[in-house]
Amino acid sequence: MNSNDVFSALKRDYKLFCCPSDAERTFLTDEDMSARMTRTDQPDERDLLDHVLLPVAHEADALATARVLEPYDPEQVTALHVVEKGGGVPDKTPVEQSEELAADSYAAVRTVFPDADDHTAYDRDIVGAIFDAVDEVGASAIAYRSRDGNRLMQFLSGDLSIKLVTRSHVPVIALPREGATE
Amino acid sequence: MSDEELAKDLGPLAALTIGIGTMIGAGIFVLPGTAVARAGPLAAFTFVLGGVIALFTALSASELGTAMPKSGGAYFYVNRALGPMFGSVAGWANWLGLAFASAFYMYGFGEYVNALVGLGSVGLGPVSLEAAQVIGLAGALLFIAVNYFGAKETGGLQIVIVMSLLGILAVFTVVGLLNADMESLRPLAPPGTTSEVLPVTGIIFVSYLGFVQITSVAEEIKNPGRNLPLAVLGSVVIVTVVYALFLVVLLAAVPNELVANNETAVVDAARLLFGNYEVFGYSLGAVGAGMLLLGGLLATASSANASILSSSRINFAMGREKIVTPKLNEIHKRFGTPYKSIALTGALILVFLVAGGVESLSTMGSVLHLIVYGLLNLALIVMRESGVEGYDPDFEVPFYPAVPIIGTVSSFALIVYIEPTIILISFGLVAFAVLWYLLYARGKVESRGVLGTWILDRSDELPKAAVSAATSVQPSGDDYRVMVPLANPATEEHLITLASAIAKQRNGTVVAVNIANVPDQTSLEAARDRGAHEAAHDLLDRARDDAETFGVDVETHVVLSHRVFEEVFDAARTYGADLTVMGWGEDSHGAPGRAETAVDELAHSLPSDFLVFRDRGFDPSRILVPTAGGPASDLSGAVAKMLQTEFDGEVTLLHVADDEAAGRRFLTEWAAEHDLADATMRIESGDVEAAIDRAARDATMLIIGATQKGLLSRLFRGSVVLQVLEDVECSVLLAEKRDNRSIRARLFGSGTRANAPSGSDDSDGPTADTDATLEPSTPPVEGGETDN
Repeated sequence: MNSNDVFSALKRDYKLFCCPSDAERTFLTDEDMSARMTRTDQPDERDLLDHVLLPVAHEADALATARVLEPYDPEQVTALHVVEKGGGVPDKTPVEQSEELAADSYAAVRTVFPDADDHTAYDRDIVGAIFDAVDEVGASAIAYRSRDGNRLMQFLSGDLSIKLVTRSHVPVIALPREGATE
Repeated sequence: MSDEELAKDLGPLAALTIGIGTMIGAGIFVLPGTAVARAGPLAAFTFVLGGVIALFTALSASELGTAMPKSGGAYFYVNRALGPMFGSVAGWANWLGLAFASAFYMYGFGEYVNALVGLGSVGLGPVSLEAAQVIGLAGALLFIAVNYFGAKETGGLQIVIVMSLLGILAVFTVVGLLNADMESLRPLAPPGTTSEVLPVTGIIFVSYLGFVQITSVAEEIKNPGRNLPLAVLGSVVIVTVVYALFLVVLLAAVPNELVANNETAVVDAARLLFGNYEVFGYSLGAVGAGMLLLGGLLATASSANASILSSSRINFAMGREKIVTPKLNEIHKRFGTPYKSIALTGALILVFLVAGGVESLSTMGSVLHLIVYGLLNLALIVMRESGVEGYDPDFEVPFYPAVPIIGTVSSFALIVYIEPTIILISFGLVAFAVLWYLLYARGKVESRGVLGTWILDRSDELPKAAVSAATSVQPSGDDYRVMVPLANPATEEHLITLASAIAKQRNGTVVAVNIANVPDQTSLEAARDRGAHEAAHDLLDRARDDAETFGVDVETHVVLSHRVFEEVFDAARTYGADLTVMGWGEDSHGAPGRAETAVDELAHSLPSDFLVFRDRGFDPSRILVPTAGGPASDLSGAVAKMLQTEFDGEVTLLHVADDEAAGRRFLTEWAAEHDLADATMRIESGDVEAAIDRAARDATMLIIGATQKGLLSRLFRGSVVLQVLEDVECSVLLAEKRDNRSIRARLFGSGTRANAPSGSDDSDGPTADTDATLEPSTPPVEGGETDN
């Protein structure tokens, strides 16, 4: 299957995609909804890949994510690294090391998209920080690569896919994993 | 910077609870039994004494923490101030100290869980383990896993844990006070207990580990100038008061016999005390015991958890300075945690837990931390006294220097009173850390400490032994250091350009040194007072600007000396130069014509590679490299390659051989080896000097290597080494490789020089010149040139 077809279909259905279904609405808190109201000031006709926000975790992840996005030729790319804060307790890693990790990740993205911007967020709530970053940089979509591994590993490493796709106010593109079987 | 602000999310209360949560651990729940058995009612005093000693160090830590809010805390300050050798000691002591302390916390955790379930000791093959140890091992695995997987503990939870802990201790204290009988505090000091006070303080000091951990997360604290000292000092004061009240009440309210040698004494005490009350006919004894049990579990768990995390911070900082391999700090791809560091620390904790008992674990933790604290206080004194730039703490220790001096002395003194075997093991670990630095880390570490720089900057005034000792332990890391002795403003730019280009290619540092000549009649101290330093700064500022245009790191130093020329060699050694780039011309460095033997001595054992630049304009567009092979030509080849890459110049290689085909074969091979295959090859026959002269007419720069030692000494003495170097119109770079002295020789002074050819090296005067030959190999040099 030609994946470009999927994307044009996605682009066509963009409006549907960005409006919550009734079922999903029940997941949303009032806060989410009010946030969503204030965030709908984007132009109606917007290309899905106008400005892609690319959340990346580390260098290898950044490189792989950027490579699978490359064939779709996004207009503009902003790499995002969220430094996971402790929020009252010390972080898992020193700030200095976290920032190195971010810089390495951006450099990896730039090997694929030389003009990519970068944005570093500091938050305990990673998904929330991604959504905030969408507004700060004015992204048209979030493109991410889900982590592999079984449920236990996903649980232990705090996989964020579900939260990301169910609560987003912009389209979320789940990029294919390299070597994933059909 | 807004980014920095965003990274700071620890408020004053969070920072305070980190300190209190780490400190209130197994110490107060497990050790009263031991303390009371040995010191009687004075046990309460030992906890106060421990707190006072901790407070001195806490003051120093606060100042250092606000001045340098960097990850790594105590280790970092010691490393920065006292240099990487003490840094290695502090890092290892802090790391292992935390592992011992964590093992102790887990032992206590085991005791408390076992008080609930009541198991007997367990035989595991050849080792027989106490029940507490087995439970402790399980607990340790749990907390190692929590940190390994990076499970999130919320800040709110930590505050709740610490508040409940303080609440439990407070309730116990109040209930105890209501039942206190001051008579049971008498006799205050039963016979034989006073001499136990200091040894017991050494054991219970483990209850005060944790306040320095706050500085280790200084970069995450909001408004650190205010909140860091508040948290560090506040946590020590609060914890000391809590411990003291708790102990006094414990001793006053229940019989000493119940407490002595009872590792869950506080639980039994609570059962007894709360048992005096009943609600609706039920005795509250069980409630009291349960409360204290819960307290013990919370306290040991939070301390162990915090210590495991802290040790990974220390590993990170040690890796950053390359005292341990940075690979230890790799972040797990999924969990985002420094998993290797945590796993290693975890393994240490498990080993210590199996190997040690309650007292030995707590004492090891105490002693190792006391070593760190003593060094930390010294670090403060060094930072203050050296007047190092950029040291600007928001919080300053009052009553300086009394406070850090008392802090140092009391920390080290307490060690003396600890059991000899523990001291022995601790000093074994310190010796290990020193050897680790000398044998492993010294070659990797790049940055030196403030103390080392301070000593070496004053190498002329301080005792030779001190300078020599300081030189021997300076890091020799893989930072490629290019030193440029500057004297003449006219040649500054070209020398710095050359040095910067090389430093840039090697990803290294330019060390610009102005060696200011001070007449013999003037003392160096007087010259310093008269502002000789300031005068030199103009030149160094220009050097800095020039080097920075290349984007390389620059260091500048002023050295006042009576012997300018000799100082070049000392400075190369002092500043750990890999390469020295210096000018050579009429009187560039006060050519010391009068002391030939001294010059030979100096120039025969070069402390670094040397490039001597005869400046006839800096233009590396057409470089000529005559070569006849051999190890010495490696340097000229490497320099040519670097200049070619940096300035996009053309390189011509010249080889003089009678057999053209053989010569070409040789040169092609040599060029490939030196990554200069794209260079123009020029094979000539006949007289070497004439060939160089001819080839140099098309060149802008001639790079020539010395095959043997001693070329430079002849050059510096003003001997004519090779007429062609005077005759050519282009600039000349003369390269001579360093003298490879063995580690032994470097450590123990200049006794032996491994590389010096025996015999000729020892001879004085002009005869030494005969071993000076130039490339190409035909020696065009006649012995016994006259000196000017």
